[in-house]
Amino acid sequence: MSDGVRKTVAGLVTLALVVIVVVGVAIGDPTPQDRVRALGSSIKCPVCQGEAIADSPSTTATAMMEIVAEQVAEGKSDDQIFEYFRARYGDGILLDPPFQGRTLVLWLLPVAAVATGVFMILGRRQSPTVTAPAGDEPEEPASTVDTS
Amino acid sequence: MTALVGYLGIMLAIASAFILALLGLRGLYDPQRVPRRYLDRAVVGVVAGAGLAFFALEVGLLIDDFSVAYIADHSATTTPFVYKLATGWAALEGSIVLWGLVLAGFTLSVHLAYRRSDEPDPLWMGALGVLGLISVFFFGLMATVSNPFQVCVEAATVGCIEASNIPWAASMASLEGPGPNPLLQNHPLMAVHPPLLYVGYVGMSVPFAFAISALLRGESGDNWLRRTRSWTLVAWSFLTAGIVIGGLWSYEVLGWGGYWAWDPVENASFMPWLVATAFIHSAVVQQRRGMLQAWNFVLVIATFALTILGTFLTRSGIIASVHSFTQSPIGPALLWFLTVVLVGSLALFATRIHLVASAPRLNSLASREGAFLFNNLLLTVFAFVVLTGTLYPMFAEAISGTQLGVGRPFFDRLAIPISFALLLAMGLGPITPYRQARASVVWERIRTPLRVALAVGAGAVLLGYRTGYLVAGVMAGTLVISMIVRHLWVTARRASVKQGTPMWRSLGRVMRNDPGFWGGQISHVGVALLAIGIAISANQGVETQVTLEPGQTVEFAGRELTHLGEFARQEPNRTVVGARVEIQEDGRVVSVLEPRLNTYFRSNQPVATPAVDTRLRGDLYLSLTSIGSGRISLDLFWFPFISLIWVGGVVAAAGGLFARVVRKPVRVGAVAREAGEDV
Repeated sequence: MSDGVRKTVAGLVTLALVVIVVVGVAIGDPTPQDRVRALGSSIKCPVCQGEAIADSPSTTATAMMEIVAEQVAEGKSDDQIFEYFRARYGDGILLDPPFQGRTLVLWLLPVAAVATGVFMILGRRQSPTVTAPAGDEPEEPASTVDTS
Repeated sequence: MTALVGYLGIMLAIASAFILALLGLRGLYDPQRVPRRYLDRAVVGVVAGAGLAFFALEVGLLIDDFSVAYIADHSATTTPFVYKLATGWAALEGSIVLWGLVLAGFTLSVHLAYRRSDEPDPLWMGALGVLGLISVFFFGLMATVSNPFQVCVEAATVGCIEASNIPWAASMASLEGPGPNPLLQNHPLMAVHPPLLYVGYVGMSVPFAFAISALLRGESGDNWLRRTRSWTLVAWSFLTAGIVIGGLWSYEVLGWGGYWAWDPVENASFMPWLVATAFIHSAVVQQRRGMLQAWNFVLVIATFALTILGTFLTRSGIIASVHSFTQSPIGPALLWFLTVVLVGSLALFATRIHLVASAPRLNSLASREGAFLFNNLLLTVFAFVVLTGTLYPMFAEAISGTQLGVGRPFFDRLAIPISFALLLAMGLGPITPYRQARASVVWERIRTPLRVALAVGAGAVLLGYRTGYLVAGVMAGTLVISMIVRHLWVTARRASVKQGTPMWRSLGRVMRNDPGFWGGQISHVGVALLAIGIAISANQGVETQVTLEPGQTVEFAGRELTHLGEFARQEPNRTVVGARVEIQEDGRVVSVLEPRLNTYFRSNQPVATPAVDTRLRGDLYLSLTSIGSGRISLDLFWFPFISLIWVGGVVAAAGGLFARVVRKPVRVGAVAREAGEDV
């Protein structure tokens, strides 16, 4: 095989693999049970210590999971189900804080942290005028220079 | 008697730690004036005192000395041997004793490492002084608000009603104790998890002590980093193992099939791990390129402060968690200590910042240094996210008075993208050249691993794994592993051609020549395996509930499960009822599982003990929810490839130890250049 042919074949194989992955993931569907569990892990078990109802073996949690499953089967939306529990147990029952009011800071703090970090990293760059000519590192430098 | 001996041990440790602190801090400024033999005595005093206290507590537990309140309240005559030993650290006061013992052990190892050197060594003496101060605090806790050797002055039939701090007070022994918390005596891993975690936590005191010592001396440079590298790596490995084993314990005991719930106490151990990991990486940048000096001080102070914060959160009862004990005065003490540590270290750091600030020397973001900076950004932001999520509900409740839940959905939403970015950085970083990476070089190194990852991803899709997160996780993990394998292969082949040695010998030699770098790569492989395990088991796990009559068979995850019958037996410390369930695959019996309900004496809540059939392809996990009148109800789980999580954790921890334990062969002359860089 000539070099050109080999490159073409390698490229085609890579492309085929990409297609398989992308198409496979695109047509994959989550099973209905996933939704019950996902909802259950967003609702706090009121009698447990910091556990979600999906994670707790307690009877209360199991009963609440059954309610979730029933409501999913009835075709209720996520918000309707959350509202059902919030009306009965208060805001604290939801483990997934909504993006509003009191929880705004919670969501904005990580963003602020990332921004600060990026700013600091950019600040560490030398200005281009004083950049030394990049040393030509030998191939695979990881095992060539001693420091320890 | 036990109480008196133990309390004497604590007193000896406090006095010696106090002297060690004075001597060490004196030596920091005037090392000639502090004779080594004085230091010897102070360190021996701390170790002997801590050892005596721990020994007294363990002996007291083994001989059921219920005149000691801690033993009367947390042990029982019927508690099996291993759990009696483990009770030594299973509750608040005892866990501080273990902390003190580990701290004394680390102090000893720091002392032994440099005591033979003839040079005056003020940095080392100062570090011993700081360790002495930390010891004064922890042994001080034991002597006051968290005294494990309180004697029982009014005994109940079971346990102790009133206790006294005075070790020679007229004591009364109860006849029996309630035994340890049922959850903690239900699995032997509970005996292993806390000591591992404590070695990890407490080990971080060593780099912290050296850093404070360097700051006090106004010493810039990487001296303190180089000298504490070993301890940092050992502590990191133990912390890693401790966290993973904690997850395994949760999986094997709690019966909900999970291993991580973003519980405050899990977060408390995860935060120092993240920051310590950032520290291990940024230390390399300073050693190699002289950058990030000040940042390394910040990281090591943060790591230490987070270990104290973690202890505060879990021990003070401020946050409801499986790990918190009852309200205890230890909370304020820890909070004060944390404040002193933070304010003191940061103030010291601020006064020294002009000495330790390093010039910006980053040539290009597309370089190994750039990758390290990216890694540090991700890890610290990750730690910050976990910290925010853990503390926010507390602050929100304090301010507005209403409860607010922050749980898995919040953490997952932020942790998953950060973890993916970390995996990519982990793959790309080690193959990126320092200073300036040309795209062509990086592409050359990444091309084959990328195809391997694509092939594995396609394989997963064809096997029916179609969830996006799963496929992406598996591909990212495979990418990391295949990059490392390729890198090792290429390096070893070049060495093999150059020196004419067989390939298999070159492989070993390349790794031995650069234990720091390859230890790091082993850890990366471990983390990648763990990520693959999480991605598959979390997305492809199946769960269902069944109720079975005797003899009834149900099909689950391609297997037939038959309820063979119930059993009940009396053990010294518990009543066990359970069911025997036969597992058949393709008509063949592969195993018989026994999910149980254990009811411990003096506890009316039975503890469900799941039965797990672990195989390479996945775990079949049976948790008994109810039993009686012939019928059983089971929670059935199938978790494919979940054991990769434990295997990956162990590999990651082993990588840290590899970097520490394997010594580079010392050779003279030309070959010396062959070795490489850390991590």
